Amino acid sequence: MKNLTKSLTLILLVFSLNSFAQTSNEKFQTGIKKGLEMLNTAQLSNDFLKMSNYFERIAQAETKEWLPPYYAAYGNLLAGLMIDDKALQDQYFDKALTEIDQANLLSAENSEIYALKGYIQFMKMSVDPQARLSYMGASATSLGKAKILNPDNPRIYLINGQNTFYTPEAFGGGKIKAKPILENAVAKFTIFKPASENAPMWGAARAKALLAQCN
Amino acid sequence: MKILKLTSLFIFIFTLTQAQTKISGILKSTKGVPIANGNISIKNTYDGTSTDSIGRFSFSTTETGLKILQFSALNFETDSVTVELNQTSLTFDLRIKPSINLLETVSISAGYFIAGDGKKGAVLSALDVATTAGSNADVFAAQQTLPGAQTSFSESGLFVRGGSASETKTYFDGMLLKSPFNATVPDQASRGRLSAFLFKGTSFSAGGYSAQYGQALSSALILESTDLPEKTTTGISVLNVGAGVDQNIRFKNSALTIGGAYYNLGPTYHLIKQQNSYVKAPEQLSGSIQYKHKTSATGMFKFYATYGKTDLALYQDNIDEPALPKYFSNNNSNSYINSTYKEYLNSKWKLDIGFSYNRDKDEGLLSQDNYTRKDNLTQGKVTLTNYFGQLSNFKFGAETFKTGRTESLNGQERGYNDQISSGFAETDLFLTDKLVFRLGARTEYSSYLKKYNLAPRTSVGLKTGINSQVSFAYGRFYQNPEDEYLIIKRLDFEIADHYILKYEVNTPNRNFRIEGYYKDYNHLTKENLGNPDNSGTGYAQGFELFWRDKKTIKNGDYYISYSFLDTKRNFRDFPALATPSFAAKHTASMVYKQFIEKIQTQVGATYTFASGRPYVNPSNPVYLADRTKCYNILSLTVSHLTHIFKQFTVLYLNANNVTGFNNVYGYQYSSNGLNRRAILPSSKRNLVAGILMTIGDSTFVR
Repeated sequence: MKNLTKSLTLILLVFSLNSFAQTSNEKFQTGIKKGLEMLNTAQLSNDFLKMSNYFERIAQAETKEWLPPYYAAYGNLLAGLMIDDKALQDQYFDKALTEIDQANLLSAENSEIYALKGYIQFMKMSVDPQARLSYMGASATSLGKAKILNPDNPRIYLINGQNTFYTPEAFGGGKIKAKPILENAVAKFTIFKPASENAPMWGAARAKALLAQCN
Repeated sequence: MKILKLTSLFIFIFTLTQAQTKISGILKSTKGVPIANGNISIKNTYDGTSTDSIGRFSFSTTETGLKILQFSALNFETDSVTVELNQTSLTFDLRIKPSINLLETVSISAGYFIAGDGKKGAVLSALDVATTAGSNADVFAAQQTLPGAQTSFSESGLFVRGGSASETKTYFDGMLLKSPFNATVPDQASRGRLSAFLFKGTSFSAGGYSAQYGQALSSALILESTDLPEKTTTGISVLNVGAGVDQNIRFKNSALTIGGAYYNLGPTYHLIKQQNSYVKAPEQLSGSIQYKHKTSATGMFKFYATYGKTDLALYQDNIDEPALPKYFSNNNSNSYINSTYKEYLNSKWKLDIGFSYNRDKDEGLLSQDNYTRKDNLTQGKVTLTNYFGQLSNFKFGAETFKTGRTESLNGQERGYNDQISSGFAETDLFLTDKLVFRLGARTEYSSYLKKYNLAPRTSVGLKTGINSQVSFAYGRFYQNPEDEYLIIKRLDFEIADHYILKYEVNTPNRNFRIEGYYKDYNHLTKENLGNPDNSGTGYAQGFELFWRDKKTIKNGDYYISYSFLDTKRNFRDFPALATPSFAAKHTASMVYKQFIEKIQTQVGATYTFASGRPYVNPSNPVYLADRTKCYNILSLTVSHLTHIFKQFTVLYLNANNVTGFNNVYGYQYSSNGLNRRAILPSSKRNLVAGILMTIGDSTFVR
């Protein structure tokens, strides 16, 4: 009887300690999930900065995971897209570039990382196109790499289509050129299956909206 | 039993409801300004939060014991404090230091015009040069629209702040380029050999430049070549004056570019009346090869080689005997090799090695005399840079070049060779991010002159506001006398001392600068009727204004520059101190560019004014006291972006002197002083039209 009580106590203690302590991977997945909720509810530039900071905190704790710096970069990119101040935009995009490069060091040959990098590089160029034409080529190179690594990644076609949409016709862009690329993106989004529930899956709505503007 | 159960239950509940510590406070800069969107976190945990719009933060953590509280924000240095999480709530008043914002840091700038993408105070990119009306994509012509440089049309080169053309030297990736200009026709300026598109950065220094550069009394044109092209492209240019092809082949970490060009001005000279009567209009065939290799994440090897042949022959007016025009012909061949290697040995040390070879040969007939002239330069240079502090650096290096000239007239030859070796050391000391001192020295030894020199160079920069700065520079500059005098006799170094003071304001889209200078010349070469010596002296003083605005007019960009120059010198064949013919008292340029989106066209206009230039009038007892009339020129350029055969194409048109001003550069008098002929531009108007196509990319790439 004494033994039974002792084991019961022990089991109870172990149980209570266990129910409190998650596995580190569960903690990570929950953390990312929470961040993605922040992403989905974000509306203003500051909301995206907060979301980016959140992922930055996870990134400094989980030094081997590429998703935190990836999403931190994405947050800074979106924060920059929502403001008019060019100098500040440039700073957000620079921070995004640093973070996506961090992600690249942690996961080389990653299609999602190259796709997002191509997006950030194009936005860097758009801050001062006349002086930064070289970023256009760099963006195309990143998207090209992303395509080789995973031709089914719909974000490649969304970003490519978006870049083309906003490039002046004289430089090989415009709505007519962008339309087939965006149609391809929408199609690929429909059949896309993310690697996990926390893997990048954004962009489907944007692709549809942009395609609608091409008509 | 009951107690045991209760204890376990108690422990169970206790472990579920862990003790929480509430951490709150405010994040401010070291100046006391609250920081929004800063990031506060407990190191190695996910716990933390962002600061709100007035810098406040608040979050809870279940961590206990000694932890590190980290805080960071955009444009600030990440910092941390150690905290003991042993209470239910803790408050912190955190201060964070601003990080160095390179765009707001002071820079060494007295005398400099920095250009290139994204650089501070940038003025001229390759595209800028190409779209400046009147320049015809010639780097040297475009530089003449900037303050400090005189308009020069009867002599090749840049005449800067009262200095002659030989006082300006051109450097390609740090290596001296001896023959930067195309084969010359007497009394006519020729354009630069190197395409503007080879370079990503052009830094034009009108004085006071770094100890790395020597052998230039007045100014240095510092050209920095582009890095690896992004992709494989083909560039085709077809102009009324010739055609060229460039093939860029991009490999994984390297690129090869092969180019060729053929120019023939015959057809154009038939349509546009020229001053000279050409027997053979200039015809040029050239080829180049470039190889660039990224040897590591931070290393780059570059190799560039070019060879060109130019032929021309013409008759020039003979003022003494108008019935017997003077015949002149030139068969020129030019070779140039430039190779550089740069690598960061570690985060604190950088190594730059360079090698260059330049050979330029002219031969032909001067009236009935056969002449040849061969100029050569072989150079090697090593520079080591040490980075210390956050911004400072110390660089030192050595270079040696073998330079010489051989010339002959009707078979009689003479020549000389000189081995100039130099060492230099320089430090950029940033005392704060608002105050920088540059201290440097350069020493040279010329084997031919058998002389040493030691030149101090100093510069100071002080930020007076977020976008403004004051700069001062003093430097001593030595230069060997020109080849044509050295070939006669060993002389001594020519000397110039520069004093420069500058105030500038630079915002991303607007630049303003005002610069004043004084130059003291000594030991200038005097001809002394065939027995040259260094007894010449001179001075140059003045000020310059510059204003550029890329913002006010939508898609428009304009700049205005004004130079005031007061100079006198006694050199070459001058009998007394006088203002030389290449110095106009007032020079002003206005350059305007506008991109019209609707028709995908860029238009540009350049208007330049210069006050009269001195010329020698034999009947005037005062030497060089006469002045020509003022110089005016209006040039226009149009570039239309389109697609031909689905390839990105630019249709280009440039017209010089559209309104047909009759400009005179000077006068040449007959030996008896009774007749004179005006030295006029090669043609009243000039037109260049062409199609520039890029295959493989949708921007203009060369």
